Amino acid sequence: MNRTKSLMAVSLLGSVLIPAVVSAQEMLSDITDRKKPITIWGAQFEEFEYRYSDADEELAVWDADIFYGTDDLKVRWLSKGEYAIEEQTYEGLENQLVGQVPISKFFDAKAGVRFDTPEGPDRTYAVLGVAGLAPQWFEVDTNFYVSKDGDTSAELDAEYELLFTNYWILSANLDATVAFSEDREIGVGKGLVSTETGLRLSYDLIDRSFSPYVGVVHERKYGDTADFAEADGGSTEDWFAVIGARLSF
Amino acid sequence: MNASKFIVAAVAMSISVTALGAGAHEDGHGAKSGEPAKASEADRTITVEMHDNYYEPEAIEVQQGETVRFVVENKGNLVHEFNIGTPAMHEAHQEEMMMMVEHGVIQGGKLHHDMMEMDMGNGHSMKHDDPNSVLLEPGQSKEIVWTFSEKGNLEFACNVPGHYQAGMYGDVNFN
Amino acid sequence: MKARLLAGALSMLLPMIALAGEYDLTVDRIKIDTGDFVKEGIGYNGKSPGPELRFKEGEEVTINVTNNLDEMTSIHWHGLILPFDQDGVPGISFPGIKPGETFTYNFPVVQAGTYWFHSHSGFQEPDGAFGAIVIEPEGREPFRYDRDYVIQLTDKHPHSGDRIMRNLKTTPDYYNRQQQTVGEFFSEVSEHGFMDSVKDRLAWGDMRMMKADIEDVQGFTGMINGKGPKQNWTGVFKPGERIRLRFINSSAMTYFDVRIPGLDMTVVQADGNNVQPVNVDEFRIGVAETYDVIVRPRDAQAYTVFAESMGRSGFARATLAPEEGMQAPVPPMRDPARLTMADMAGMPGMDHGGMDHSTMSDMDNSSMAGMDPSSMEGMDHSGMMENGDEVSDPFYAKGSGIAPTAANGGKFLSYTDLKAQKPLYEDREPTREIELRLTGNMERYTWSINGVKYEDADPIRLQYGERVRFKFVNETMMTHPMHLHGMWSILDVGAGEWNPIKHTVSVQPGTTLYMETEVDAPGQWAFHCHLSYHAAAGMFRKVIVEGGPEASQPSTEAATDAGGDA
Repeated sequence: MNRTKSLMAVSLLGSVLIPAVVSAQEMLSDITDRKKPITIWGAQFEEFEYRYSDADEELAVWDADIFYGTDDLKVRWLSKGEYAIEEQTYEGLENQLVGQVPISKFFDAKAGVRFDTPEGPDRTYAVLGVAGLAPQWFEVDTNFYVSKDGDTSAELDAEYELLFTNYWILSANLDATVAFSEDREIGVGKGLVSTETGLRLSYDLIDRSFSPYVGVVHERKYGDTADFAEADGGSTEDWFAVIGARLSF
Repeated sequence: MNASKFIVAAVAMSISVTALGAGAHEDGHGAKSGEPAKASEADRTITVEMHDNYYEPEAIEVQQGETVRFVVENKGNLVHEFNIGTPAMHEAHQEEMMMMVEHGVIQGGKLHHDMMEMDMGNGHSMKHDDPNSVLLEPGQSKEIVWTFSEKGNLEFACNVPGHYQAGMYGDVNFN
Repeated sequence: MKARLLAGALSMLLPMIALAGEYDLTVDRIKIDTGDFVKEGIGYNGKSPGPELRFKEGEEVTINVTNNLDEMTSIHWHGLILPFDQDGVPGISFPGIKPGETFTYNFPVVQAGTYWFHSHSGFQEPDGAFGAIVIEPEGREPFRYDRDYVIQLTDKHPHSGDRIMRNLKTTPDYYNRQQQTVGEFFSEVSEHGFMDSVKDRLAWGDMRMMKADIEDVQGFTGMINGKGPKQNWTGVFKPGERIRLRFINSSAMTYFDVRIPGLDMTVVQADGNNVQPVNVDEFRIGVAETYDVIVRPRDAQAYTVFAESMGRSGFARATLAPEEGMQAPVPPMRDPARLTMADMAGMPGMDHGGMDHSTMSDMDNSSMAGMDPSSMEGMDHSGMMENGDEVSDPFYAKGSGIAPTAANGGKFLSYTDLKAQKPLYEDREPTREIELRLTGNMERYTWSINGVKYEDADPIRLQYGERVRFKFVNETMMTHPMHLHGMWSILDVGAGEWNPIKHTVSVQPGTTLYMETEVDAPGQWAFHCHLSYHAAAGMFRKVIVEGGPEASQPSTEAATDAGGDA
């Protein structure tokens, strides 16, 4: 009885082992890192700057991107902030946590959540986006947002770099936001909300890790959003002189 | 005759003529390599083996005025030349041999005899048959009888492109 | 290194015993000084390059490798024909060498020539883990020389291999400092007119490809035998001597164009195998390739060995001189090359303008037919292919921007010039053809074969005894030096039985190249692009040779440890 059982056990074990035996005939199987997807991380501050406006407002601004993952899946933490130095308040503070997968040769899809926690009311959004390299070397990043209350908006960010030399680089970027519904509490009107246009001249001082720059930034609000801003005693259009550095680790 | 054969023939002929000129007459520096002779006049025989890409022996000793019968055997797998001349003559000849290779007359271990042996009808032959040199396919053996009439800086060399530079030459030392 | 060559003495006493040598190598963390910067690296017996291993054909070598690192290591004997379990690729030949462990390699040396060895783990090779192997033949060499020097090239970078890989993955043009600028646009405008220049920029912009994409990793210091250009490695000679220079390109990523102004070079060996000698003024050495050349400096002067990178972003320099301390002028680097649309021709969706080399053999002679004999005079015979005045190398796409020309206008070595000195195998029809498309995405820095990265790929299975014809189709805009371990790559240059025998073949962008392999080595082998970061990114395959002699059937042990390997 015992013997039969153990025989059964052996044959069972055997059938389990067959695939292992087959692969063993393939000799040593490669279980080194070479056979695994490459995992990388990166941390970049596309903007890390001091802004001085034509209305004597001083801001500290960052736009950071920290990621970890493989070719097939990356996790990104995107952080943007505008800190009013005199008032000691965050005029803008936005953090996104997204997963990113490739969808074509040059484009990735992103999905995740966005938390806005500036001075004033907070917002939480679901994010769906597409980012990548468009023809003629335009870096584009488009995102669609749905807030918890169902307000929807979209943002387009495009950037182009002009190489004066291989170290002196002029980068132009345009960021436009459109709202499909009004969110009065945070001063967003339906339609074109705002644009931010920047021109920065940078010099790659240490590889591409530390590239100081100077530039100008123009911010403008439109339509109802502009009206809300005026009503709240804010400005609708600002010019900034900026000085900062692009950082990458 | 088609055009390509004609070209090859023309090239080979010009080489043949130049090599003959180089062998029998003075070169630019007034050096002279000697002159052809009959086998019956030979004082002695030296056997030179061609290998890929070197000779055995790699040096020979001669007396001024001596007539030597060279038995040259190609024991390699490639076409080789045995040519008696000064370094300058060899250098000039190498450029012409380069053309022979480029036009397919010499290909590795093959000599294209059909291209070489065509009769041009004016007394010229396309053979590489200058008296100071032989060009041999693997396994072939030929003789040269040469009188070393004057002392000089002489080498026996293979001018198939690259072979001389690789070291396929030997010194002719006058005693 | 303690090279205990027991054989010399023993074989005289006991002629029955085969030649045997024992060698010790330690793998160490070292400092590498390039003259431009000092960096942490990895070396053998305390230096990089490691010691020159001098073997003799027929010798049975025993090599004890002690790992003094805190990570796994390995040594691959690049180009050596040996049992697969001695080939030194972790995960394919053996599990690797653990920290603190001594692994003993043991194999017969069945060939002669110039080769090299390097780590096959992680990025240890770019970090400095390599050295030269020189094998003396049993008989005499088919050429003569009075002395020989190894000239081992590398592209030493201030960043570690891991850092470079991460930067390339994050920002593929991280190291590219030869990108087209506004200034270059204006010079194009003045040369080609505004509309054409704009059209050209738009065409490339549409593809999102860069003309400047020739060298992924710039910013290196070119080194020869561990010395940077300022440190100037010097080989001494007596005027009139014949010197054999054994060039080995141990770079991670860099092709070099090599010349010695004032000296003709005669190439006598490629990848360890003798070739019919060919006189050249300059040659391009691909990553992992070797070329042996003979030079004969007659004058008592110094000569510069100048090796410019293919993309002209850096150079290595050494000196040949009658005595130490002498030096010759160092020429300036030429302008950086730019890719052309011809180099893009292999990309899917582009015009397939790439050349098919199977048609090459009927190119040389038959194309002469119908030519006017009077035009023979003054023709340039230095190249293979003549179309009008232009002479181009058929191993590059027609109109390629990276096809090389000699700095002095003379002869630049082409693969078509390489003919085996002595065919190693009988020439026979291949039993089958395997197509390997070399693929990748520069913007994502992914590299693959047939669109599949190594991590997702099944092995290539070959049958012992067959002769396989590999068809490489380069669908990328970069050059890939493809290296098959364990078996020779018979490069099809259209010379039939005289086709040269190599271990690494460069496939240029927009071209198709064929090589044949006599499958005569059982076991499993690596097959990959030898650009370190391309191999690591997935342009890599395992080849399994099925069947073969019973005795050499591999053991069935499983991998024990996962080393970091690339």
